[in-house]
Amino acid sequence: MATCKDCKGFFAREDDQDRGDCVMRVTDPRQAYYKAVPVEADKDASKCSSFRKR
Amino acid sequence: MGQSTARTEKESSVEELKNRREWWFVAEKTRSKRLDYLRKGVWKKGAIGGNYAPGIKIDLTFPQLFIDKWQEHEGEAIMLQKAHALAHVLDNIPIFITDNSQIMGYIGSAPHNIVWHWQGISMVNEEIYNEEGIIPEPEEESLEILANLNDYWGGRTAVDKLARVLDPEDAVKFMSGAIGWGTPTSAATYSTKDFDYIFKGFEAILAEVEERMEETEEKLQGNPSPEILPLYDKLPRWEAMQIVLEAGIRYAERYARLARTLAEHFESDPERREELLRIAETCERVPAKPPRNLQESLQFDHFVQVLSRYETFEGAWPHRPDYIHGPYYDKDVNQDKRLSKEEALDLVGEHLIRTHEVGIFAPKWAREGLQGITGTWVWTMGGVKPDGSDACNDMTVAYMQAARLVRVSNPTFGFRWHPKVKDEVMRECFECIRHGLGYPSMRNDPVLVANTVHWYGHPVEEARTWVHQACMSPCPTTKYGCQPMRMASATANCAKMIEYALHDGYDPVVNMQMGPKTGDPREFKDFEDLFGAWVKQMEWLRNILVRTVNLGRVKDPEFFGRPFLSAIYERAVETGTDACDPSNGDRGNAWVTGFTWVENADSLAAIKKFVYDEKKYTMDEVLDALNANWVGYEEMRLDFVKNAPKWGNDDDYVDDLMVRCLREVSRHSKENRCPSNNTWPLLPENVSGNIHYANLVGALPNGRRLGDALYDGGISPGPGLDKKGPTAVLKSCGKFDHVTDGRAFLLNQRLSPTQLSGEKGYQLWKAYMKTWADLGLDHVQFNMVDDATLRAAQKDPEKYQEVIVRVAGYSAHFVDISRKTQDNIIQRTVQGLG
Repeated sequence: MATCKDCKGFFAREDDQDRGDCVMRVTDPRQAYYKAVPVEADKDASKCSSFRKR
Repeated sequence: MGQSTARTEKESSVEELKNRREWWFVAEKTRSKRLDYLRKGVWKKGAIGGNYAPGIKIDLTFPQLFIDKWQEHEGEAIMLQKAHALAHVLDNIPIFITDNSQIMGYIGSAPHNIVWHWQGISMVNEEIYNEEGIIPEPEEESLEILANLNDYWGGRTAVDKLARVLDPEDAVKFMSGAIGWGTPTSAATYSTKDFDYIFKGFEAILAEVEERMEETEEKLQGNPSPEILPLYDKLPRWEAMQIVLEAGIRYAERYARLARTLAEHFESDPERREELLRIAETCERVPAKPPRNLQESLQFDHFVQVLSRYETFEGAWPHRPDYIHGPYYDKDVNQDKRLSKEEALDLVGEHLIRTHEVGIFAPKWAREGLQGITGTWVWTMGGVKPDGSDACNDMTVAYMQAARLVRVSNPTFGFRWHPKVKDEVMRECFECIRHGLGYPSMRNDPVLVANTVHWYGHPVEEARTWVHQACMSPCPTTKYGCQPMRMASATANCAKMIEYALHDGYDPVVNMQMGPKTGDPREFKDFEDLFGAWVKQMEWLRNILVRTVNLGRVKDPEFFGRPFLSAIYERAVETGTDACDPSNGDRGNAWVTGFTWVENADSLAAIKKFVYDEKKYTMDEVLDALNANWVGYEEMRLDFVKNAPKWGNDDDYVDDLMVRCLREVSRHSKENRCPSNNTWPLLPENVSGNIHYANLVGALPNGRRLGDALYDGGISPGPGLDKKGPTAVLKSCGKFDHVTDGRAFLLNQRLSPTQLSGEKGYQLWKAYMKTWADLGLDHVQFNMVDDATLRAAQKDPEKYQEVIVRVAGYSAHFVDISRKTQDNIIQRTVQGLG
C-alpha cells in the first residue's frame, strides 16, 4: 500500500518523522502557489490523485 | 478608455497616461513586477452588485476542523472549548505561499475561498446553504456538510442564545430590519488592538499568563474565602489564552517550514530562494518574539490580524500601520540601509494586497449595505504622538505611494490632519485623492482628540493614539481604551424618526406599530408639537438599539467567547477575563451610527415652512401625499424638493433645525449608558445604507419617494440639493460643534479632476482644507472622478474594472456597486473650488 511518506511531495517534520507536510504546486486562474497540508507519514495514499512515487 | 484607447495605452508614456488621468494604467506601468503579479493575482472577495464573483467558494475545511475539536471538548468553559477548536484549525488548515509573495497568512484553505463564523447567527448559516455559486464541488457532499452544520448549530449560536434573553417585543422590532441593522455579538464585530503590548511577542505574554496562573493557584491553596471563589473561573480562561498563543506560534512555524522546504527542494531561482529563507527566518521569529525589522513587524501584524479573523468576523480593521511600523522602516531604510526604498515599497504594497484579499462571507443585507467590499477597513494614518508632536513618518508616505501603485479598494485610509502636518505629506494625501482612490478621508485631529476626551473621559495622551474603530469613530489603542467589540447593531435608520413622528409611531412600510404613540399629526397645534413627537421617536429608536446591544455585550463572554482576543488584551491577561467582559476596566467607547440622518432636518424644515409658517399646505394634504407615495401629487412634491429649505446651503432656517436635532440627540446620548457606564453619542454616516434602506423608508416631506435612494452622507446635503457651492456646504456643517454635538460627522464631496489638476489644483484644495479646518469640521472625503468616466464605466464595465469611487465610509471599485449606488454617486454635486 502506497503511503504519504512514499510520495515525492511528502516532507517529514524534523521534530516528528511520523508527521509531515504534503506540498503541492497549484495554479489557479489568477495565481500560482505552493500549498502544504499536514499529513501522517503512514497515511494510505493509494487513492490520492496527487501521489508521485518517490 | 474605449477600445481604441485601450490599444494605445500600451504604447503611451506614463506622462501621456497621467495627462489623460488614466491612473490605473499609470499604476500598472510604474509598479514593480512583484506588485503587478500579486495585485492581479488577488481574487475579488467583495460582492459585485450583491453577488460573489465566479470562482469564489465558501471554505468548508475550516468549520469541519473546528467542529471536530469543539464537539470533543463539549461541556468545558466556552473560551477553553473554543481555544481547543481554534488550535486544531491552526495546526491543520492547509496553508499556501503565493509566488513572489513575502508576507504570509490567509484566512481559509485556498486563495479563492471565503470563510464565515457559523457560531454567530443561525440565519447566516441557513443563507449560505441556499446561496448559489459559492458551494464547493462536489456540491452534494458540501451541502450535506452544511446541512449537518446547520443541524448542530441551530439554537446554539451566539444570537440564538441572546434571542432567548431579549425582550420578545424588542426582538421582533429589532429583527424587522426597519430600524437598524447588525448583530449584537462579537461574532460579527471589530476590535482595537494595542500593538505596544502585542509586539512584546507571544512568548512574553505566555510568561505573563503563566505567572498569573501560578499566583492564582497559590491563592486557591490558601484560606477559603468568598474572595477566592471567582478565581476558579479565571484559570480556564488563562489556559485558553495559552492554547491559542501557542497555536499562533505553531501556525507561523508551519509557514517557516514550508518556505524552507520550497527553498531547499523546489526553487531554482537564487534570488527567490534567498527570499524564501528570509520568510522562514521571519516566521520562526514572529509572533513568538518581538520584531526586529520591517518584514518582521509587517508579518507579526498580519499574523495577528489573520488569527483574530479565524476567531471571529472582524468587519472593520482598526489600525494605524504607519505609526506601528514607522520605526522599523526608519531602521531598515534610513539607518541600517538594509532595505532600499523600492524594496520597502514592495513590502508595504504587499501589506495592502494581503489585507485586500481577505474574504469573509456576509449575508445579503450586509452586502447591500457594504457593496463591493468585505468590510470597512479604514486604516488610520498621520496624527500625533501621545505628547502631541507630529507622528507622520516615512511609512505614512510609503503607504500613500503604495496605495497609488496597487489601487485596492480595501483597506482605505483616514488621515489625521493637524496643523503641524508637513506639506510633503499633505501632497501625498492629495495625490491619492487626485488619482481617484477616494481616500484618504481627511480627519481633523485636534477636534477628534477633544471629542474623544469629551464623550468618554479618555486621558488626552491616550486619546491621541486613536484609530478609526470602523469608518469614522476614533478609539484609543491603549490598555483601557481599546474597544474589544463594537457592535454594528447600534446602527439606526434615522429617517424612521421623522417617519414615525408623522405616523403616530406606526411603520407604514413594514406595517407594524414600532415607536410610541405620539399623536396624530393632524391634531398638532404647531411645529413644537411635531418636534416633540420627533424627540420621543428618536429616544425610542435609540433606546431599543442601545438596550439590545448592551445586553449582547455583557452576555458575549458567556455566549461567544474570545480566547485569542483576550490573549492579546493586556487588561484581559492581567485579570483572567474575556476581552469583551466590560468589568475588566474597559473605559467605554460606544456610539450609535446614524444612517439616513439628514432627511430629518430637511423634512422638518419643509413642514415647518409650508405647513406652519406659510400655511401653504395643510398637514392633512402632506400626509395624504406621503401616504400616496406622492403619486398624484407631483407638482406638490416638486415644490417640496425645490422650494423647501435644504441643508448644505448656509440657510439658517434649516441649519438651525439640524443643530437643534443634534443637540437633542446629544442630551439623550448622555442618558443612554453603555455597560462601562459611559455615553452613546450619535455618529451620522451611511456606508451604503442609503441604498439598502431605500425600500424600507416611506415617502418623506423632503420630496423623497419610497424606493428613492436616501442621502449619501452623514451630514452631506442631498445629492444635487446643495446649490450654493462648497463654502456654503462647509458653513452649514460648521454651525454645530463637532466636539460636543456628536461623535463624528461624515461629509462626502465631489471635486472636478480637471479643475484640480497640476500645482494650481493642489493649492486650491489646500485652501479648501484650510476653510474646512477653520470651521472645525471633523471629516471630509472626496470623489474626484468625472461624470464622463463614470457614465462610460456604466456602459462598458469590462473596460473600467479599476475605477475606484468613495461610496461613504469606504471606497469600492465602481463596477462592483449596484446601478442605484452608481447613479447616486453621479448625482452628487461636483463642487467648483476657488
